[in-house]
Amino acid sequence: MAKQYRTAAGATFDVANYIVLTLFGLAAVLPFVYVIAGSFASDAELTQRAVFFIPKTFTLAAYEFIFSTGTIVKSIGVSIYVTVIGTLVNLFFTVTMAYSLAKRGLYGRNLVLNLVIFSMLFGGGMIPTYLVVKELHLLDSLWALMLPGAISAFNLIIVKNFFQEIPKEIEEAGRIDGCSELGLLWRIVMPLSMPVLATFTLFYAVGHWNDFFAALLYINDPEKWPLQVMLRQIVLLSQAAAGDLNSMDPNFVKPPDQSIKMAVIVVGTIPILCVYPFLQKHFAKGVLLGSVKG
Amino acid sequence: MKKKKKQAKRVSTFLILSTVCAAALAGCSSGSGGSEGASGDSSAAPSAIASAEAEKPLKLNIMLPIFKTNYPKDDSPVAAELEKLTNTDIHFEWVPNASYGDKFNITLASGNLPKIIYVPDSKGPSFVSAVKSGAFWDLTDKLKNYPNLSQASEVILNNSSINGKTYGIYRGRELGRNGVYYRQDWLEKVGLQQPKTIDDFYNMLKAFKEKDPDGNGKDDTYGLVMVKWTAGWGAGFDQIKLWFGAPNVWGEKDGKLVPEFEYDEYFEALKFMKKLYDEKLVNQDFAVMDSAKWTDPLVNGQAGAIIDVVDGAARADDKIHAALKDAGKDDSREQYVDVFGAVTGPDGQIHTLPTSGFAGLLAIPKSSVKSEEEVDRILKFLDQLNEPDLQTLTSFGLEGKHYKKIDDKTLERSSDSVLLESEVEGLNQMVPYIPEGKGLQVAQTPLRLKQTEVQLKNRDTIVANPAEPFISEVYAQKGQQLGNIINDARIKFIVGQIDEKGWRDAIELWKKSGGDDYVKEINELYAASKS
Amino acid sequence: MEQATAQGNLPQASKPAVYRTSIAARLRRDKWLYLLLLPGLLYFLIFKYVPMWGVLLAFQNYQPFTGFWKSEWVGFEHFRLFFENPEFYMLLRNTLLLSFYNLIFFFPAPIILALLLNEVRLAFFKRTIQTMIYVPHFISMVIVASLTYVFLTTEGGTVNELLFQYTGNKIQFLSDPSWFRPMIILQTIWKECGWGTIIFLAALAAVDVEQYEAATIDGANRWRQIWHVTLPAIRSTIVILLILRMGSVLDNGFEQIYLMLNPLNRTVGEVFDTYVYAMGITQGAFSYSTAVGLFKSIVGVTLVLGTNWLAKKFGESGLY
Repeated sequence: MAKQYRTAAGATFDVANYIVLTLFGLAAVLPFVYVIAGSFASDAELTQRAVFFIPKTFTLAAYEFIFSTGTIVKSIGVSIYVTVIGTLVNLFFTVTMAYSLAKRGLYGRNLVLNLVIFSMLFGGGMIPTYLVVKELHLLDSLWALMLPGAISAFNLIIVKNFFQEIPKEIEEAGRIDGCSELGLLWRIVMPLSMPVLATFTLFYAVGHWNDFFAALLYINDPEKWPLQVMLRQIVLLSQAAAGDLNSMDPNFVKPPDQSIKMAVIVVGTIPILCVYPFLQKHFAKGVLLGSVKG
Repeated sequence: MKKKKKQAKRVSTFLILSTVCAAALAGCSSGSGGSEGASGDSSAAPSAIASAEAEKPLKLNIMLPIFKTNYPKDDSPVAAELEKLTNTDIHFEWVPNASYGDKFNITLASGNLPKIIYVPDSKGPSFVSAVKSGAFWDLTDKLKNYPNLSQASEVILNNSSINGKTYGIYRGRELGRNGVYYRQDWLEKVGLQQPKTIDDFYNMLKAFKEKDPDGNGKDDTYGLVMVKWTAGWGAGFDQIKLWFGAPNVWGEKDGKLVPEFEYDEYFEALKFMKKLYDEKLVNQDFAVMDSAKWTDPLVNGQAGAIIDVVDGAARADDKIHAALKDAGKDDSREQYVDVFGAVTGPDGQIHTLPTSGFAGLLAIPKSSVKSEEEVDRILKFLDQLNEPDLQTLTSFGLEGKHYKKIDDKTLERSSDSVLLESEVEGLNQMVPYIPEGKGLQVAQTPLRLKQTEVQLKNRDTIVANPAEPFISEVYAQKGQQLGNIINDARIKFIVGQIDEKGWRDAIELWKKSGGDDYVKEINELYAASKS
Repeated sequence: MEQATAQGNLPQASKPAVYRTSIAARLRRDKWLYLLLLPGLLYFLIFKYVPMWGVLLAFQNYQPFTGFWKSEWVGFEHFRLFFENPEFYMLLRNTLLLSFYNLIFFFPAPIILALLLNEVRLAFFKRTIQTMIYVPHFISMVIVASLTYVFLTTEGGTVNELLFQYTGNKIQFLSDPSWFRPMIILQTIWKECGWGTIIFLAALAAVDVEQYEAATIDGANRWRQIWHVTLPAIRSTIVILLILRMGSVLDNGFEQIYLMLNPLNRTVGEVFDTYVYAMGITQGAFSYSTAVGLFKSIVGVTLVLGTNWLAKKFGESGLY
């Protein structure tokens, strides 16, 4: 596969390409390295040094603080639950709807598509949506974090388009073999669409992991707060707000240390970063080819 | 084409249908809101019984902001002790502070209100409108019946009122909180005394820049740190302009209210700021500086003074100690930072910028609290919270477990911050501190004692904003835009992008863009309040 | 629509009879498909269409406690306020310019990056870079803004210190209005470009390797392969993303701009999103922001339908 590139121009291109990508990769990741380094540094060091990648004094204090209570650990549990179950819900709703909408002959298809597109552009807003969730008795239930966003219209349309591009012959072959629509979807279309499904699994999972607003609106029970609610709390608590808390006894509440903010970002990011490598293999080439031949 | 048309028609039919459905559903929701009101009745019933047999604890749910990731649970020991002392049964509805505003609006819309709700912005339109439609109990004439609440400050009551009426118990805060803190060690090094006048202040900043206060032989220091505030960059300049004798937002001239920037004193202050900027006595990036890094230059020995709140001094001092310790440097001084309230202006007087004196209200909704008797019991509860022992309990927890008592006035807190966060911190969010904070205090350092002293002294020299209680329609619509015109122009003047004429033009623009209407409306409200 | 369905590569083209069968027969034939459609359809009806009465708030002075039924109706008052605002044209210009720059500079960035990644043959290197470039997506905007300040400030900012050493000058990146848009675009590229490649890489994963082999045999060099095989493979994805992006042409990412805005760059920086937020602070403006949102939606719909129509003119399949 690689042999065709053994030309001088190709080699120059390769070298330039590797350099560009390496630079871009470093630019992307170095600020995060600073955040990681900062999370292990003392607050004094963070005040004094602008940017650094290795802390002079290494301390775990920030992490000890974060994990010393059950609250954050519990909220990580909530986040993982919502992310896993929520993503499955997303995939079910999105794939089924996208599959049927990918059939151009379906009566009423354009009407439904119009509805979907219209809903991307016009929305009722926070309060009307809240009232619907309330009427469905979903308040204070983790389902309120999963159902109201079960389909992203954006994702739906792209998945639908990918489905549309699957060569028709393959489906026809399946049909001749006696597959039902469900069978076609499950045995032929889904395996053929692994890169796409991996992509949207990732998109949905990241969406759930990063979501805090739904939880703030729909969840009153602090026991059910996901991690991001906690993180925001720590990251956004500015000096000014903290100062105002308690001017009656000024030394009572102080803003969280910079190092704790950074540790919190690390804790909130690393788990979701770990999802990617698992999905990455589906981005590899040749999946489609293999299925067609096999 | 034909098909498209048909389709459009179908879409519109569907839209109409769904709107009808939606309307029907919306109807349902308001209907069930009513039924919930009814169920609210049943919860009100026990309180009626309670008034008959006084033993029955008052059932309360309270919506409060929480600033940490931990929060005291309903059955935690401190909450239990509080319930015992006040004969209540409390359920806390904690809301992360970062999004309290949204949650507050949603809660108003949903109709499920708790019995006590924290109102973050007493002038916020959703609260004002709810008050106008009768959602909250009017407490104006009730406060006098309670020993502590009756001592509420007239000034703060006025500031927190809506059209002169009280719809919530304010949470008292220090009025004289604003001030200046600076590097005391630097001041000694350059051989100056604590500034008394504006000139002294200027000389201090100049010496901080030119006389090498950190003694490293390099010209690498400056005087004053200012930051970009999200709300503008006000804080620092707002204090300076008062030193010069300008009014606080509105001034009274011949019985009429006039905006502050119409005063010559205001422009003098602006020129002073420009001088500081031109002579590089203030950080040149003050218009963009990240407010999270405000004290960094002070701690790192780059700058010498900050105009902020008085209690920032001790926080900065702590940081300097920590930084020196961390770097393994000599940390023999007890105190690196000192503090003062304000300096004397050209008129020989001291003028201090006050805070509003309160941080939000605790309001009692009519939908959840049905009877006067229950309001009475809730007010009794809020009144009781101001007792010294309850202030101590809600701020510091239980003796022996969360703090050690040192003497009659002071205590030492447990060093277990996790324990404090998950059992204590947050509970004093519902304490009104009326008339003032009077529980035990943590042992004070000399600097902290000085802070308290400065704050008390500040109270005598504050300049109130006469328009504070007014709710202006024009401001609601155009306030942001009007504010930007002045805010942008003064920064541009300071950095030299516009001259005096440009500044005057900005004021004219302000007037034309609705400022004149605003002045007129404020004066009408002012006249009405006088009569 | 007819034009699209008439195209040769469509499933039904082989069975033109479909269009003549009766509706009932078609419904019966596709009953399984309708069953599959049902959950999604219900979702849209319940969670998207039932709350849609919310757009009516734009014509009210809606106050949460007073509620929808009792709030005062004001007709087009909020629209009038919005359009008559003397700053309206400044806001429109800033919003559109920023969107335009985004379209020109940011939109192609992930595509180029994906193409570059696609040319990498060292699997390990490719995976490492992929993982690295998508990290910034997870860093909150508050932190990004704070880092931007640390790097760009004139008071000891890393970039300006370097500039000063080599040129003797400093650049007011943060307050100079002419630097505002480049700064925002660069921030966006840094933060979202890597993440944006994912979708294109997924599209590229579907390209048949045999096509490259065939191209090589035909003597196509690297560039020609990219041009004739790789790009066409992701063309429809690009078109769809472009069309969908048009719907949010008036959205500029509130938080980012809000954090980078200051009095010295406000004339170029203030956009609809920041303006509505600012109005929200003083007004609690549910109705006002709904009105502005409605205006943005109408512009969005027009652009989406327009772009979709254009795309079809050029033979793309578009959204439908």
